[in-house]
Amino acid sequence: MIDLDQLIEQANALAPLPASAVRLSQLIGDPDCHLDDVVDLIAFDQALTLKMLRAANSAASASAAPVSTVRDSVIRMGTAQVLALAIAAGARPFLQPKIPAYCLGEGALWRHSVAAAVATEAMQGLGEFAVPPEAFTAALLHDVGKLILGRFLTPAILAFIRRAQEVDHLGQLDAESLLLEANHAELGGLIAQHWKLPPRIVLGITYHHHPEEGRDAVCDLTCLADQIAKYIEASLEGRKGEIVVPPDLAERLALSPTAAERLCPLALARYTQVRSRYNAI
Amino acid sequence: MTPADFDFVCNFMRSETAVVLEPGKEYLVESRLQTLARREKLGSIDLLVSQLRAGPVNGMHHKVVSAMTTHETSFFRDLHPFEALRKTILPELMALRAGERKLSLWCGAASTGQEPYSILMMLKEHFPTLLTWDLRFTATDVCAEVVARARAGSFSQLEVNRGLPVTQLVKNFIQKADNWEIREDLRRRIDFREMNLVKDWLPLPPLDLIFLRNVLIYFSVETKKTILAKIRRLLRPGGYLLLGSAETTFNLDDNFERVSIEKTSFYRLKAG
Repeated sequence: MIDLDQLIEQANALAPLPASAVRLSQLIGDPDCHLDDVVDLIAFDQALTLKMLRAANSAASASAAPVSTVRDSVIRMGTAQVLALAIAAGARPFLQPKIPAYCLGEGALWRHSVAAAVATEAMQGLGEFAVPPEAFTAALLHDVGKLILGRFLTPAILAFIRRAQEVDHLGQLDAESLLLEANHAELGGLIAQHWKLPPRIVLGITYHHHPEEGRDAVCDLTCLADQIAKYIEASLEGRKGEIVVPPDLAERLALSPTAAERLCPLALARYTQVRSRYNAI
Repeated sequence: MTPADFDFVCNFMRSETAVVLEPGKEYLVESRLQTLARREKLGSIDLLVSQLRAGPVNGMHHKVVSAMTTHETSFFRDLHPFEALRKTILPELMALRAGERKLSLWCGAASTGQEPYSILMMLKEHFPTLLTWDLRFTATDVCAEVVARARAGSFSQLEVNRGLPVTQLVKNFIQKADNWEIREDLRRRIDFREMNLVKDWLPLPPLDLIFLRNVLIYFSVETKKTILAKIRRLLRPGGYLLLGSAETTFNLDDNFERVSIEKTSFYRLKAG
């Protein structure tokens, strides 16, 4: 149906992310990472420094005393949020345009991505399970594959995908796999590799629909973040938002039903609180 | 695609491969044959089907079989069967066959090779002694094109991303341009052959382990029974058969018993 080589070629032709964001992602994924290394890296990137200071002093942090140094910004925000902001700054131009094949208007993918990233912040806030720093970035970029695959989805291909969904009751991802021999999640993983992001981020993006196959907590967290992002979007549009957490995922994360219930409104409140931070990037 | 052309393709697939295409699968046939028609510069599915109708089984017929057959696969697919092999089945078989130091394996729907190579990588990692045994590993598929790809052992980045841990990639593959090639010492341990499960089988040795995952689902009950009867004759006492998670021998062949290990069902011959 589509030329896989061409698809891969286009994924590999995307402009790179800023070097400092990539280096930061590698640094933060390293268990031996030291705060000084993160501070040094940001301090040498003027644009990133300004973004960090602005974010650390944003409305979300307004109750605290203003910060004026990179070190204080990193301490206040945490390395994972610092990484998410650095990646978000580089990735926003890719996530902003409309993607008609996925019925995404201008800015829709960006808003969904930010909601997913914020959902991981809420998970961390819940304090019921560990949220590795890579989860924020994986959640932010989980649907980046739609950017490339969307270019190949002609009306004829979309009609076949709809038929696969109707006849065989397949989800979007499985219909893509059946008909195209690739899906947007795999393409997203490929893009993350092209951007030289750490393997756990690649895994989180690649397996966000089938986290059991990724065998890494980042996959489970990204999947959950995607679900919560949909809840947030539905709630903001006045629809009834609800999430269904697959039992095996809840078991792997040790996520209790009550914790899952608390997570959604927490994430919604967090999103309302911090979206200005991301939207200002 | 006209209903007559759809019926023709369904009948052709049933007679050549026993694959049953139910009504409603027009979208699947159309999407796959459209791609083939374009690749073959035939312009339309009508012309492609006309060619199939016109002559005896030839190269184009094989291409249609290849296009219509699902080749979906990945490295270490579903993980649990591999855990069961590692923790229970292989240690048991090694103890059972220690005297003869001989083990025979067969993957019956090997597609582009990810499953047999996954098994081999696991053997190398956890049971290196087995590689010094008389290890016979045959992998077959109905499509010549995918068998050739499996034999070449070369995979794109997209393919290695599907289930292959980075550690295994680094240890067992060599990067060549944009692709990853399995190391030669592993590649040559598997005998990849073309074989149609519903036609004459190759002469396979008595088998200790048979992998036939996610293929019986495409067949009629009668075809499933025929295949299981052939497997029964090949499987050695103490040997195991692995089917896909949605497949079973239940109500098809009473000579097998189910053994549940690590969230996976294996089948073996009933004693006596």
